[in-house]
Amino acid sequence: MSTVKSILFKDPASTESTRSILRVLILLTIAAAAVASRLFSVIRFESIIHEFDPWFNFRASKYLVKHGFFDFWNWFDDRTWYPLGRVTGGTLYPGLMVTSGAIWHALRMISLPVDIRNICVLLAPGFSGLTAFATYLFTKEMKDSGAGLLAAAFMGIAPGYISRSVAGSYDNEAIAIFLLMFTFYLWIKAAKLGSAMWGGLCALFYFYMVSAWGGYVFITNLIPLHVLVLILMGRYSGRIYVAYSSWYALGTLASMQVPFVGFLPVKTSEHMAALGIFGLIQLVAFVDYLRGQVPSKQFNTLLRALVILVTIVAFTGLVTLTVTGVIAPWSGRFYSLWDTGYAKIHIPIIASVSEHQPTAWPSFFFDLNMLIWLFPAGVYLCFRQLTDEHVFIIVYSVMASYFAGVMVRLMLTLTPIVCVAAAITVSSIFDTYLEIDSPQESDDDSESKKPKKEKVKETGGFLSSKAPYIGIYSITSKVAVVGAFSVYLILFVLHCTWVTSNAYSSPSVVLASRMPDGSQHIIDDFREAYYWLRKNTPYDSKIMSWWDYGYQIGGMADRTTLVDNNTWNNTHIATVGKAMASSEEVSYDILRKHEVDYVLVIFGGLLGYSGDDINKFLWMVRIAEGVWPQEVQERKFFTHRGEYKVDHEATDTMKNSLMYKMSYYKFPSLFPPGQAQDRVRGARLPSEGPVLHTLDEAFTSENWIVRIYKVKDLDQFGRDHFSVSAFEGGKKKKGKKGGMAGRAAGKRGRRVARI
Amino acid sequence: MRLLPLITAFTSLLSLAVAQKSTNKHQTFADLASSSKGSKGIVLLNDQLFGDLTGPNRNFTSVVLFTALDTRFGCVLCRDFQPEFDLLGNSWHKEHPKSDGLFFAVLDFSVGKQTFQRLGMSTAPILMLFPPSNASPGSDQPLKFDFNPSDITPAEAVARWVTASSKHTVTIHRPFNYVKLFSFVGGIIGTATLSKLAYPYLAPALYSRNLWAAVSLVAVLLFTSGHMFNHIRKVPYVVQGRGGGVSYIAGGFSNQLGLETQIIAVVYAVLAFSAIALCLKMPRMESSSKQKIAVMAWNLVLLVLFSFLMSIFKMKNGSYPFFLPPLIA
Repeated sequence: MSTVKSILFKDPASTESTRSILRVLILLTIAAAAVASRLFSVIRFESIIHEFDPWFNFRASKYLVKHGFFDFWNWFDDRTWYPLGRVTGGTLYPGLMVTSGAIWHALRMISLPVDIRNICVLLAPGFSGLTAFATYLFTKEMKDSGAGLLAAAFMGIAPGYISRSVAGSYDNEAIAIFLLMFTFYLWIKAAKLGSAMWGGLCALFYFYMVSAWGGYVFITNLIPLHVLVLILMGRYSGRIYVAYSSWYALGTLASMQVPFVGFLPVKTSEHMAALGIFGLIQLVAFVDYLRGQVPSKQFNTLLRALVILVTIVAFTGLVTLTVTGVIAPWSGRFYSLWDTGYAKIHIPIIASVSEHQPTAWPSFFFDLNMLIWLFPAGVYLCFRQLTDEHVFIIVYSVMASYFAGVMVRLMLTLTPIVCVAAAITVSSIFDTYLEIDSPQESDDDSESKKPKKEKVKETGGFLSSKAPYIGIYSITSKVAVVGAFSVYLILFVLHCTWVTSNAYSSPSVVLASRMPDGSQHIIDDFREAYYWLRKNTPYDSKIMSWWDYGYQIGGMADRTTLVDNNTWNNTHIATVGKAMASSEEVSYDILRKHEVDYVLVIFGGLLGYSGDDINKFLWMVRIAEGVWPQEVQERKFFTHRGEYKVDHEATDTMKNSLMYKMSYYKFPSLFPPGQAQDRVRGARLPSEGPVLHTLDEAFTSENWIVRIYKVKDLDQFGRDHFSVSAFEGGKKKKGKKGGMAGRAAGKRGRRVARI
Repeated sequence: MRLLPLITAFTSLLSLAVAQKSTNKHQTFADLASSSKGSKGIVLLNDQLFGDLTGPNRNFTSVVLFTALDTRFGCVLCRDFQPEFDLLGNSWHKEHPKSDGLFFAVLDFSVGKQTFQRLGMSTAPILMLFPPSNASPGSDQPLKFDFNPSDITPAEAVARWVTASSKHTVTIHRPFNYVKLFSFVGGIIGTATLSKLAYPYLAPALYSRNLWAAVSLVAVLLFTSGHMFNHIRKVPYVVQGRGGGVSYIAGGFSNQLGLETQIIAVVYAVLAFSAIALCLKMPRMESSSKQKIAVMAWNLVLLVLFSFLMSIFKMKNGSYPFFLPPLIA
């Protein structure tokens, strides 16, 4: 027995090299698993950019590699936000595009000319491997490398992170989570060692993070909070001072080099905490220094009074500057995190986004599974040891849990810390139960206990464990616990794979459905329509659609759009909303004034696709009402019983709105008379469809999801379009044999209703 | 031919008289507006005055609030809106002491029953704008204001509406809220004093690691079990289920009930605690047989509760394929 043991478990010092080789191997395997589990969508569909925002990032990356960095930096985009344009180079976070551009150049240098699209598609999975590594380093600082490996594995496959980093999801978060974890690792390292070099490295990666994602504000506030808590706990030390000062000074200066950030770090409330703590830590350092030099008690009292006075003066100054408007107050996006009802009243454009909704508990369980209940245990374990870096975990946990609860999207920032805390728990359990040596039960002396005795801090209460550490006696107990946890871990892997495969791997540009025989059927209406636009419309035609589709039209159809997902100009979006929500007379005027050539709407009524424009319509109305309360009123879209209806009970305002007309134009003609049915809203439509006077149907995709209308030119005789159609309608009535000429107006795909 | 100048003269005389009359009327209301006690700038109407105010040949705009302030009618909205309307009148009166062709007037139900009946009004408050009758034909129809209950500053909303629907520009001057300032400053001083006094007693708690640990863990558990969702969406605690029973678990993946989240929070807490017990408490037990039983017990608790959690989750998300024995939903 003992020989076997000595072969298997040599002295730790002699097996160190073996261990480090194993660690590298395990980390490589974890990275491979992390990358592999994100490739479902590439394997099932193709190498394609997903969703909406990635299309813009992709377009910007293409611009970067085509025109070079300086042109990219000064890019003014006149093909979006027509007629305003957008100073794209100064209003984006360039980190993502620059990263993929750098990879593209590096690969070309070693004679591997990879298409920029493939780099963009695979960037997020690649970086997830790095995230796992950063999580390993971070957790290693908290406990040991065993916990680090577990945390890396959790991080690699946790659905909460996969949701934003599958292949094709080319968004800022793709690289930002790696940067977040690595910056935190460097911060912990800096705070532990009190080294200006690590602080400077932390600042460098903070700069990278600032250039990559707006969520950098999380770091900007979390690190100062950590420092503040340490100071309040009386744990101020020179190490903290060096780490924080070097990070803040360098990091802030660096972050101001990003054009989109500019002077925000000294002008907005979001960044004031960091500045305030920077001032505070100087004061504390000063006092600390003087206390060492001057022992006089009176002097200390005086000093304390001075510090309090300076703090109050500084705080009052900050408040005054905020009130007078020199420092911008919290921007709505961040403010709505604290005052949760704020966005719904004041910024409907933020409240309208589905990822800004609060999180119900099933989402937590869905994204984190068993980690979610291991998480509090990990936090508890941190409280027991409570060194400086454990304080960081605690602060991070509480803040991130709150934010994730308020906004689904911020689950992303919670996931890393959940993985770390859960790994600490699981690794503690394994440390206890995987120990092959069993203690001997002895009641007289403490000989056998002695070597394992752990120094336990006396804290009292439920954190205490005054009894000495002994170990687990029975092999059965060990096997039972280790077995149970192995099952849980396997279940966790199955869960993650299932969630990734089923929920997070559809590109949303392409919809997949199952045929009755179980085979996969792909609904490709979006690309069909965008390709039609690309091939059949003049290069400079302007397309109006709701802002959700702006980036896709820009990326796939390469046509000028009025509004897109950047949402920087609320009035412009409201103008589009008004055009959609108003009657044709009003809308036509707006369309002409904005030189719109085509209008694009998404309609899911035939297929049962619920994310269509009629379901988003109320937000258009609300946003338009925010700007023109006289002309657009939400109430008029509800029936007198307060219902949102599209059938014969729909209000006149609803029926006359451009959106309704465009969605249901000729729709009833698909069905036998009186049978027309909207499959999304389960409504039976009137047999007479709406009539359009100022638009011509130009294209309708195979499953009617995308419908494109051409805006009619002004009448050649100077009449308005209503009298034109009345005139022509009157004529038609006489020669009734003419038939439905309107059909010929547009090309149309197969008209087969298929679900 | 000779008649024409005569007619012209007569007409001009008539119009002068009418103008004179309407100027008189205007003057009357201007006086009323500046003299009416209580809130300056608001004309308090009765049936008679209302008739004058909205009578023909008026060259002024008037905004009339039909209200029922008497407690007998129990009109909460009326009483809520009254100070806002007073503010509106005041703001206008301060800028235009001679009222300059725009009046703010109130007709209370207790003095204007006939008018209410004549206009067929059964609800209050109603806010109407009467444009000048001699501006252009067809434009003298009164306009009605739509109250928006979610509006936090109704005075501004009304001001915008009046500005949009007449030629007058109304700006609101909200008086500075000294009460709020004083209560705020007082509150700060009070809190500071109280904390100074209570500091010796609170200090141990403030520096107690246990307290902070408990607070942090409870916060984490609350937030991760969807408490903020309850808070923001104001979900019901329980709902009536089918067959008269009470339903604890809401159907649907993105939906939850108050009690449901509490159950989940407790399950999480017990699961976390069993994990802690397994890794911290167990290896510190002296007796080997007791330890064996305890390890098995905690292991079982963990298994059963995790299985329970999985089964609830499967209930919420029907297509979820995994389960853990012993509870299989």
